[in-house]
Amino acid sequence: MDLLFKSVTIIDPNSVYHKQVTDVLVEDGKIVRIAADIQADAETIAAKGCYLSPGFFDLNCNFGDLGLETKEDMQSGTRAASAGGFTGVALMPNMQPPVHSKSEVQYLLNQSRGNLVSVYPLGAISYKTQGKDLAELYDMHTSGALAFTDGNLPVQDAGLMERALLYAQNFEGLVFSYPEDLSIAGKAKVHEGMVSTLLGMKGIPALAEELMISRDLYLAEYTNSRLHFTTVSTAQAVEQIRKAKAKGLKVTCDVAVHHLVLTDDALMGFDSLYKVKPPLRTQEDVNALLQGLRDGTIDAIVSQHTPHEVEFKEVEFEVAEFGMIGLQTAFSLAVKAGLSLELIVEKMAVNPRKIIGIKEASIAEGEMANLVLLNPNTNWNYSRQNNLSKSYNSPFIGQEMTGKVLLTINNNQIYKSDIHD
Amino acid sequence: MADQQKLSSRHLLGIKDLNRNDIELIFETAANFKAVLNRPIKKVPSLRDVTIANIFFENSTRTRLSFELAQKRLSADTINFAAASSSVSKGETLIDTVNNILAMKVDMVVMRHPYAGAGIFLSRHIKAQIVNAGDGAHEHPTQALLDAFSIREKYGEVIGKKVVIVGDILHSRVALSNILCLKQLGAEVMVCGPTTLIPKFISSLGVKVEHNLIKALNWCDVANMLRIQLERQDIKYFPSLREYTMLYGLNKQILDSLDKEITVMHPGPINRGVEITSDVADSKQSIILDQVENGVAVRMAVLYLLAGQI
Repeated sequence: MDLLFKSVTIIDPNSVYHKQVTDVLVEDGKIVRIAADIQADAETIAAKGCYLSPGFFDLNCNFGDLGLETKEDMQSGTRAASAGGFTGVALMPNMQPPVHSKSEVQYLLNQSRGNLVSVYPLGAISYKTQGKDLAELYDMHTSGALAFTDGNLPVQDAGLMERALLYAQNFEGLVFSYPEDLSIAGKAKVHEGMVSTLLGMKGIPALAEELMISRDLYLAEYTNSRLHFTTVSTAQAVEQIRKAKAKGLKVTCDVAVHHLVLTDDALMGFDSLYKVKPPLRTQEDVNALLQGLRDGTIDAIVSQHTPHEVEFKEVEFEVAEFGMIGLQTAFSLAVKAGLSLELIVEKMAVNPRKIIGIKEASIAEGEMANLVLLNPNTNWNYSRQNNLSKSYNSPFIGQEMTGKVLLTINNNQIYKSDIHD
Repeated sequence: MADQQKLSSRHLLGIKDLNRNDIELIFETAANFKAVLNRPIKKVPSLRDVTIANIFFENSTRTRLSFELAQKRLSADTINFAAASSSVSKGETLIDTVNNILAMKVDMVVMRHPYAGAGIFLSRHIKAQIVNAGDGAHEHPTQALLDAFSIREKYGEVIGKKVVIVGDILHSRVALSNILCLKQLGAEVMVCGPTTLIPKFISSLGVKVEHNLIKALNWCDVANMLRIQLERQDIKYFPSLREYTMLYGLNKQILDSLDKEITVMHPGPINRGVEITSDVADSKQSIILDQVENGVAVRMAVLYLLAGQI
């Protein structure tokens, strides 16, 4: 597979070609030359006005390939990822069985071998994600789990979280916190505010997230650990992490991309496609999240891709599952949120790899081609036909999106968007 | 009832769907039906050949009876379906259940459901018109309409009246629909109850919040005393019914101590001795039984006006 990008603008803060317009020649999955006016016997891509970035990396993604394959299997999930410009995804452990020992980690790595998208299983913190005793973190780590989280089951026991943070230090494992205090959140399904009041539904107070963030910041400080918060969603949460960073704590965080473009106003019609966790918050929170991304408090943007069969979503709001798919729309939503392309690349390609501790993809001669070709100005229609996930629980299906992933390359494989449109 | 005007909505899913003209139209129509109900022949042929399914996924006696009676007075054909609960885990989905009933050529659905928004959800998936007879703690529009109608009947108008809703606001669909309806009609609304049972953001709906019952009663013209619904409380929001009654129960002694003669309402069924004592419920200040009578007339009006759009 040889490809020649003509007059492409490189966006990669780690590259000496950052922001330069140039030609890029890829041969056998490797970047062999970066220069002006390259002539080569290769498929030529007229890329004027398009941008070449290191492939995106998703720190929070759910597939079902372990027991929940009707939601998403490895093939459908990675195809959706590549269509969204992702060349790496970290998979949440909430499968059946949960990814809580070496065998599940190895299964996922085997299952994804040779794929365009590199898959990084996240291991559970607790045995069977029950939130009681530590899982075999070290064994999972040596098998390939780079970080640990109970996924969408927030660790309620402070002692367990403390032990996880301490224990992971033995092998430089990273612990993710999904911050939610369930005793405050209760059985509520939506953000507590004017909208929940009008809907006659109990609300999940912002407090449920913020209390847990304070707890985990205390624990991180006490244990002198690295800690990563995933899907922070409230204004106060951003402020707490901003202060912790200023204080010198080794803390990072990410935000789900749909939290940058949606508020709880979307819930007025009880449409369960908008039922996500953390819940959609208010415009004030959205503004704070965007500010947090710009000032560096929030390090990364994640898709929080959460596929569910129609039977679990096209039901009464109260009983519908939480979550929406998001791999294919993540870039477009980041564009919609008004973020610059440079910032998007930093938050979706560069920082996620830094956080989880893998080699950063970089655009330089001699490097493996781990790339995504983007045009932030191209419009496209997201539809059931070009949706590559097995599930279609996205409120954006049927909508025109701006910002398109044109081509994704990794592991000497290529995904081209025009094939599917 | 010549020159029938139309409601602005095809369904009655909540007071949210209604504008002030809609509410006035329902009241006008209900007043006419109330006159009919007091004649020797109480039945009118308005809904002949209209088939209505009363689908109740939650227990109800009085609302179902009131709807059924309203339908019979209008000469509609009715069927009743009651199921304990609907959820994915228990088998048939809500859409399937209702479509099965509609396949038998039903024109209109009156539905009560334990989950907020169930009627709104259903309206996106079925063709028949839907009347919401209560969805979770969201709305109970016909109750709010009959409550406002009863206030209007008592005072001549609703505008400017001060109404306090007392009790478990958090779990109450009656409270939310009442707030929305009374505000539409220009009443001043206050909610009163224990802090744990008042939604934190309730004042964003433009209502006053008071935690002291005596102060609330001294402020109001009308007190709507809600039923404590222990069945909807998944955890304990107050220590005991006894303590609730000590703080928020309305008894004759309190009623007599007020500066003015207020009107007492209750959506029923009453827990006598909990939210109000028997002597209050049976006092001349209570319009609880008028509410029940008006319920049939208001539901007739709603069904009649919606049927005009079939």
